[in-house]
Amino acid sequence: MTRRQLLWEVGGGAAGLALAQLEAEAAPRKPGTHFAPKAKNLIVIFLPGGISHIDTFDYKPDLVKHHGKQTKGENTITPFFGKPGAVMRSPWEFRQHGKSGKWVSDLLPHLATTVDDLTFFHSMVTRSNAHGPAIFQMSTGYIFQGFPSIGSWVSYGLGSENKNLPSFVVLPDPRGLPPCGVANWGNGFLPAEHQGVIFGDEKKPIADLRAPVSDPVQAASYDLLSKLNEEHLGANAGEDALAGRIRAYEMAAKMQLSAPDVTDVSKESDATKAMYGLDDPVTRAYGYNCLLARRLVERGVRCIQMFNGGHFGAPRINWDGHEDLRANHSRCGAVMDKPTAALLKDLKQRGLLEDTLVLWTTEFGRLPISEGIGEGGRDHNPEGFTSFMAGPGLKKGFSYGRTDELGYKAAENPVTLYDFHATMLHLLGIDHTRLSWYHNGLQRRLTDVHGHVIKDVLA
Amino acid sequence: MKLCTGWIALAYLAHAQDFDRTVKPLLEQRCVRCHSGDKAAAGFDMTGAAGFARVLKPGDPDASKLYQHLVSGKMPMGGPRFEAADLAAVANWIRSGAQTSKLAAPKKSYWAFQPPVKSANGKSIDDFLLAKLGEKHLVFSPRASSRDLIRRLHFALTGLPPKDDDYKYTYAETVDRLLGSSAYGERWGRHWLDVVRFGESDGGEHNFERFHAWRYRDYVIDALNADKPYNQFIREQLTGDLLAPNDPQMVAATGFLVAGPWDSVSAELNKDAAMKKTARMDELDDMVTTTFHTFQALTVNCARCHDHKFDPIPTKEFYQLTSVFGGVGFGTRQVVTPEDKNRYDAEVKPFNAELATVQKAIDEIELPVKARLLREKLIAFDRARAAEKFRLPLTPVFSRNRFAPVNAKHLRLAVQGHQGKLARIDALELQPAGITLSNWTAPTSASVDKPVYINFDNPAARSIDAIEWATDRTNGRNDGIIRVYALEASDDGSAWRSIAVSLDHISVNEIEMPSVSDAEVLAALSKELQDRRAALHKDRAEWRKKIDAIVPPAMVYAAKPHSIEPAHLLERGSVSKAKEEVFPGALAALGHRNGLFGLDGKADDASRRIALADWITDTRNPLTARVIVNRVWYFHFGNGIVNTPSDFGLMGDRPSHQELLDWLAVSFMESGWSLKWLHKQIVSSKAYQQSSAMNDKAFSVDAGNRLLWRMPLKRMDAETLRDTILSATLSLNPARGGPSFLLQKKGDRGSYIYAALDNDGPEVWKRAVYRFVVRGGERIFMDSFDCPDPSVATPQRSISNTPVQALTLLNNGFVMKQSERLAARLAHEAPTPEARIKRAYQILYGREPSLNELDAGLTFSRQHGMPAYARVLFNTNEFIYTP
Repeated sequence: MTRRQLLWEVGGGAAGLALAQLEAEAAPRKPGTHFAPKAKNLIVIFLPGGISHIDTFDYKPDLVKHHGKQTKGENTITPFFGKPGAVMRSPWEFRQHGKSGKWVSDLLPHLATTVDDLTFFHSMVTRSNAHGPAIFQMSTGYIFQGFPSIGSWVSYGLGSENKNLPSFVVLPDPRGLPPCGVANWGNGFLPAEHQGVIFGDEKKPIADLRAPVSDPVQAASYDLLSKLNEEHLGANAGEDALAGRIRAYEMAAKMQLSAPDVTDVSKESDATKAMYGLDDPVTRAYGYNCLLARRLVERGVRCIQMFNGGHFGAPRINWDGHEDLRANHSRCGAVMDKPTAALLKDLKQRGLLEDTLVLWTTEFGRLPISEGIGEGGRDHNPEGFTSFMAGPGLKKGFSYGRTDELGYKAAENPVTLYDFHATMLHLLGIDHTRLSWYHNGLQRRLTDVHGHVIKDVLA
Repeated sequence: MKLCTGWIALAYLAHAQDFDRTVKPLLEQRCVRCHSGDKAAAGFDMTGAAGFARVLKPGDPDASKLYQHLVSGKMPMGGPRFEAADLAAVANWIRSGAQTSKLAAPKKSYWAFQPPVKSANGKSIDDFLLAKLGEKHLVFSPRASSRDLIRRLHFALTGLPPKDDDYKYTYAETVDRLLGSSAYGERWGRHWLDVVRFGESDGGEHNFERFHAWRYRDYVIDALNADKPYNQFIREQLTGDLLAPNDPQMVAATGFLVAGPWDSVSAELNKDAAMKKTARMDELDDMVTTTFHTFQALTVNCARCHDHKFDPIPTKEFYQLTSVFGGVGFGTRQVVTPEDKNRYDAEVKPFNAELATVQKAIDEIELPVKARLLREKLIAFDRARAAEKFRLPLTPVFSRNRFAPVNAKHLRLAVQGHQGKLARIDALELQPAGITLSNWTAPTSASVDKPVYINFDNPAARSIDAIEWATDRTNGRNDGIIRVYALEASDDGSAWRSIAVSLDHISVNEIEMPSVSDAEVLAALSKELQDRRAALHKDRAEWRKKIDAIVPPAMVYAAKPHSIEPAHLLERGSVSKAKEEVFPGALAALGHRNGLFGLDGKADDASRRIALADWITDTRNPLTARVIVNRVWYFHFGNGIVNTPSDFGLMGDRPSHQELLDWLAVSFMESGWSLKWLHKQIVSSKAYQQSSAMNDKAFSVDAGNRLLWRMPLKRMDAETLRDTILSATLSLNPARGGPSFLLQKKGDRGSYIYAALDNDGPEVWKRAVYRFVVRGGERIFMDSFDCPDPSVATPQRSISNTPVQALTLLNNGFVMKQSERLAARLAHEAPTPEARIKRAYQILYGREPSLNELDAGLTFSRQHGMPAYARVLFNTNEFIYTP
């Protein structure tokens, strides 16, 4: 078949494309890598609101020196709310950790013990200083709403390794959906099978997964349905779409069995549960998600997007520490630190970090000055922030790029999100310039028309 | 043509012809636009032989850069990849020597920019289609059964299933009935809303509701039902507010321009000037892009940062277009004449005054109780948090800070920031020394640079370790509340040190604070006051009702006047690199009119937009009619004549039947731009009435059915599925138009997330087109069936097929409830189990069950009940795929 015909198959739906993706049958782009991948699974940990780089991993001793002074000149940024205050030192002390001697603040004592496995990007830049566009750019590559998310690109590019589970699973923060909600895992113009599927809490893993009828009725219903559909197919011989839909129901039946199995963590050891903080009310819910992420990776789910931080509202449940950075980051940090570190360590001890890429990121950083006068918060900083990756193919315990002495702007080797995403795809065996989808006159990609793989971080 | 001599020329002659016939047109269409001339991309000029040689290794495609780039998809950059057949042609050509001839850049000859002309080769849709089929020795499939045809027409024209009586009409009668029914506008209005990315929330971070956006949806449905001429339909959507500023319908038409997402945060809150400017450019880009996608199927937005790579659209023209919309902003506007507005205000004014009086009386009862109760709770909360690092937020009824004991002779409170004109304190105490202050009002307003000091003398240097105060313990009002302060101590009255500051308090955004409920207020009142309060609440409700009864001026979410900024060409799209000023205009390449509108930077909003509307609706515009004809065709056949309905540019599809497209486009304009005329032409054709049965021979020749050798089966879209289920169970609420019903609702307390509501019931059983369409809302039933989020335009919906979709249709509460309702309907309409199953087949499929099907149905329903059986039928392929 030619490409255009396939295009129509998608637009007009004559073929069971979802199944094609799941079963690696013919598809517009056969799922698969462009070259040997380093990692085959992806976990994205997104901290919405904007976690401060200079209060976590980007150590700036000069903040202490200049504390209380006004900054001027071209190396400054207009804060989002337009209230420039004085330089504010971090409320946390920094110490060196691990063989790499990485400076980490006391806010993150657990992640500090994993630094030798991490690859830091200290010179991240993004295009907008407002949450919405910046979040969209991190989650989809574009500052506008409606483009396919990272996970849907990966699902489209690589297909699934597990027929009984979705290829792209989303674990929102238990406190609430992230800002911009489902747009973070939307399929945009990619077919709907690449939409992220939310796994909710322990009792209700997937929407509509539970049969509202008894097991025997459900089983009999599947039987009758298959019988009626086969008869209908007989009268419509050669219709792939109809055959594809029959297979989708067979898979749905399997998914009903396998999804509860993956979400039930009761058989995990007490030590494991404790490691993830399941014994502490502060860390329990997010810790469960971290543990679930590991279990999903074990079962071949291609991409898991986790959130630490919910939407806006009061009281604040994400990292947007405008008025009160200490209170905000203390509370968020207590939730995020231990389970995240546990996930990294657990993946490593089980050998899963050898083929799983973990991204830890946020939409932007925070300014070195306080917000407004006499207040203890920090405003948005799109021109310099920190993310890290962990996984195969990367230099470990390594820091790439840097911000200026106060942490205002990327001062060396700025990393755009296009570069960050290109590097991520590269590690998954995908050439970011070749993973594309035609939409409204353009071959669209995750990285728009930009992006370079950051070779310097590759092992 | 490159000259070859001797036997080599002869040997290559055949291949050279191949090149001219097969490869050359591909390269000319797909590559040369960028790779030609002085500014050739990557310095590679394909029109010069020298440049060409660089990328070819004759005889070895795999070693030829040209072929490598095409295979890898690296080229054509930004456009669809070469098809397999085209790649094979290129490979063959290189393998057999890569003989070339001079390439020419495509100029004005591009088909879509030539005016459509009526060919003499046909007089009907069928003529043109049969001619092309004949070339491949194919013919139409036989006519479909009359049952299938009636079903096809109903779903296609109204998005609803036929009822029993509907099967008795002839085909021609049915066409007229359906085109005359209001369900037609609802069905095709939904298609249009997809194309124009219509949503009812802003999207993005704040994602506010657009409560009055539904008027645009109603405008579209009404316009289609009235068969408003398409050129007028365009004109009103671009300029309705200018043509009739006091007519809500006409103003609502411009909801088109602002139907897309809007970043209110960047537009209104952002203090960074460059970011703000960029956000405005994004708004204008969205309007320009949607206008050109929708009406011209051109991707002008590509020219925002650079000249369009494929189509002849220079960057300058993109910015001319932004200047056309310079006077358009986003927002809700009141549509009313000044006289009506005055009349309304005058009518409402006395009621509002009454309402204010009642409110004041209510406050006098409630506020003191509320303030007292809240203060009690805060004091207890503060005590419970004695070990916490941070103090409670500052509130008007209670503020307290504590610190290590201080013994100082001089103490002062520096007030550095407050709400209201002057800072106030109704009572303050330094504890435990017992130094107090009451009923204090600052003499001047205070700031960090100019604090207002309150001095306390402490000659005995008694110890203090806390400060506690309140602004308004009586009513709890915020006026005068201190937000920024420092408590300072000094031993000599000249050197001051800070001992407590506002930074010690946690932000109100970071903590769940106690609150007082209405029930608590009520319980704390005397019986007498309870009664008085109840009476006042009743009064208030009545005044509000009276105010609501006066019909307010229509509120419409539509184009809202915006101050016009000078437009400049922006280099690389950057607002910091503004170049020469540009003036309102469109595209020169279409050639039907001057690209510039003859307006300067002082031109008003009206002349700008009206000029564009004239330019687009001009009968000589080569694209306008073709584009809409193709859209309608696409929705009917699942294939467009051009299969990229919003892109007729070089990177888009080529028409499968250009003569047919042009014939239809010209005839459509001659018909008076009547969409109903167009529908009738299409559905009356033999092509449309073909059976949808598979034909292996035809499939092997034309798997994608571009030549239309059959009518494809169609999976219902999400709205049709929901409407059809509701219709089958007699649940569909026939109410039309008006404010949308909600399936998702925005959270309270400043949350911007739309949670899915658990409100399945008759009040939401209207047609799905009347749903409140939010951007980025929590998942609902329809999302599994490719119902698009309207954040980007969706000229073509995907049709996906997933296990999650199967689970939705099996297990979702909506389907369960409707299964029960269908069972109830069957029980009501048919007396025996056998009759019920037959009835179900009639309702859902419009046919009798086979004996097998009947048996299976009887066995299953006897064992598991009729609702479970109905649920299975809703899940069948025959239900969801229409003929």
